[in-house]
Amino acid sequence: MIEVQDLTKLYGRVAAVSGISFDVAEGDIVGFLGPNGAGKTTTIRILTCYHPATSGEARIGGFDVFQQSMEVRRIVGYLPELTPLYPEMRPREYLRFRGKLRGLNRADCNAAIDRVAERCWITDMLDRPIGALSKGYKQRVGLADALLHNPRVLILDEPTVGLDPTQIRETRSLIRELAQDHTVMLSSHILPEVEATCQRIVIINKGHLVAAGTPDELRAQIAGDAETIVELKGAGGDLQAALEGLPGVSGVTTRPVGDWTLASVRAGGDPREQIFRLAGERGWALRELRRAGASLEDYFVKIVAQASNQARAE
Amino acid sequence: MRNTVAIMQRELLSLFFSPIGYVVIAGFLLLTGVFVLVAEVFEPGKPATLRRVFDFTPYVLTIIIPAISMRLISEEYRSGTIETLMTAPLSDFQMVLGKYLAAVIFYAIMLAGTLVYLVVLAMYGQPDYGASFSSYLGLLLVGLAFVAFGTFTSSLSSNQVVAWIVGMIPLMLFVWFSSFIVGKTSGALRDIVQRVNVVRHLDQFNRGLVTTESLVFFLGMAAFFLFATVKVVESKRWR
Repeated sequence: MIEVQDLTKLYGRVAAVSGISFDVAEGDIVGFLGPNGAGKTTTIRILTCYHPATSGEARIGGFDVFQQSMEVRRIVGYLPELTPLYPEMRPREYLRFRGKLRGLNRADCNAAIDRVAERCWITDMLDRPIGALSKGYKQRVGLADALLHNPRVLILDEPTVGLDPTQIRETRSLIRELAQDHTVMLSSHILPEVEATCQRIVIINKGHLVAAGTPDELRAQIAGDAETIVELKGAGGDLQAALEGLPGVSGVTTRPVGDWTLASVRAGGDPREQIFRLAGERGWALRELRRAGASLEDYFVKIVAQASNQARAE
Repeated sequence: MRNTVAIMQRELLSLFFSPIGYVVIAGFLLLTGVFVLVAEVFEPGKPATLRRVFDFTPYVLTIIIPAISMRLISEEYRSGTIETLMTAPLSDFQMVLGKYLAAVIFYAIMLAGTLVYLVVLAMYGQPDYGASFSSYLGLLLVGLAFVAFGTFTSSLSSNQVVAWIVGMIPLMLFVWFSSFIVGKTSGALRDIVQRVNVVRHLDQFNRGLVTTESLVFFLGMAAFFLFATVKVVESKRWR
């Protein structure tokens, strides 16, 4: 549905985005993840026909974003970062205005407003001035606008920034619901956010694509130093050597905890089954065997740290 | 077309929602009211004409019109709503045209407020309707041209006040000092300056003279600055 090929955007001599390529299949929810200033908004603005790219190609629904801009704009619903709205208008007036711009006739437009207002829980707020609404409601008015023409593709730039935890949870479940009928691309600088809503993740940093895939694929890519935690009793001094002897294991550290021994095993694949069998054969008692979680988080934090170190070095 | 109308309606709504709209109308009507008084239009024995009022009006318009148009595009930049417009299925030209027409309609409504003096004149005398009509036509044409210029300056800055001042100064130079500049020049230069002298063009309208030259001058100026506005808006996409 969305195809991006070697996309580059220069601001003067500074490359905001350089040579990014990725694809989004129809019906996917894709999270566009990166630290602040990674080029997320720039990429999104190119896809939504706000900025032209310096070089490279981007297509949405088969239409080129530069050559066939109007066709792209018709099938895309876009929620810009920070949700710019006209404070002097009421949501109903605003949505009617947006519907007219989208070429909806009056009856269709009213029906569409009822539909999106219900979907985004703003039915009670339709006749209050937008300027008087809370940040959460403004966000929903923006989302209602993006959904008004029932677009095939929804592009949301930081849809949960500035919302309180309840609103974040509601927005996430709304986005998941929307993905049943729309292809969704959302950006965020928070990993758990993306992990919670998206089937696929595209990570970019400093304008470059770092990784792309499902959360599991990404974990597999970085599993080279995945950690498994084992807690055993009765092994004595054999434990370290026995664990290191398992295939795929690259390092073991042990530490006594009372009668028990806590071992942390670094391995390429998933060594849990082998460890279980080993303990069974040797007759060791086993009270914990788990993979250390949040490896994706570690990975992402590492990327962000690298980026900020580089920035400091420059 | 529908898009342009949608933009125009929204813009008019905002113009009439903002206090600036009413301040501008009140200021304009107050000043023209003072002119009516100063020009002693309603004194017995004077000719039933608003000509002296119309002579003053362009000087006021150099300040008033940029104040109407200052927010048209700059406010969209300031609030970021430009992004929602430029990613909606409408061309940059349709957007600029819709906003321009809204400001022109607002200006026409404001100008219509002065018709009351004509009504009073008609009650107590026989005003020259032909000359009055051509005066109003002249003021409308000045409006078309000045609003286009104001729209252009509004596209240059995300600050309304900057847009107002940048719009006001060249217009004042054009209108307030035009006779002075004409007096200081001679030969071919004087000829050129006279051709773009807004006051001279308006003077012809006030005398009941509608010339092709004036029509082309005002409409050409409007078209040129609308075109320039579209180009500025387009160029901002690249930055």
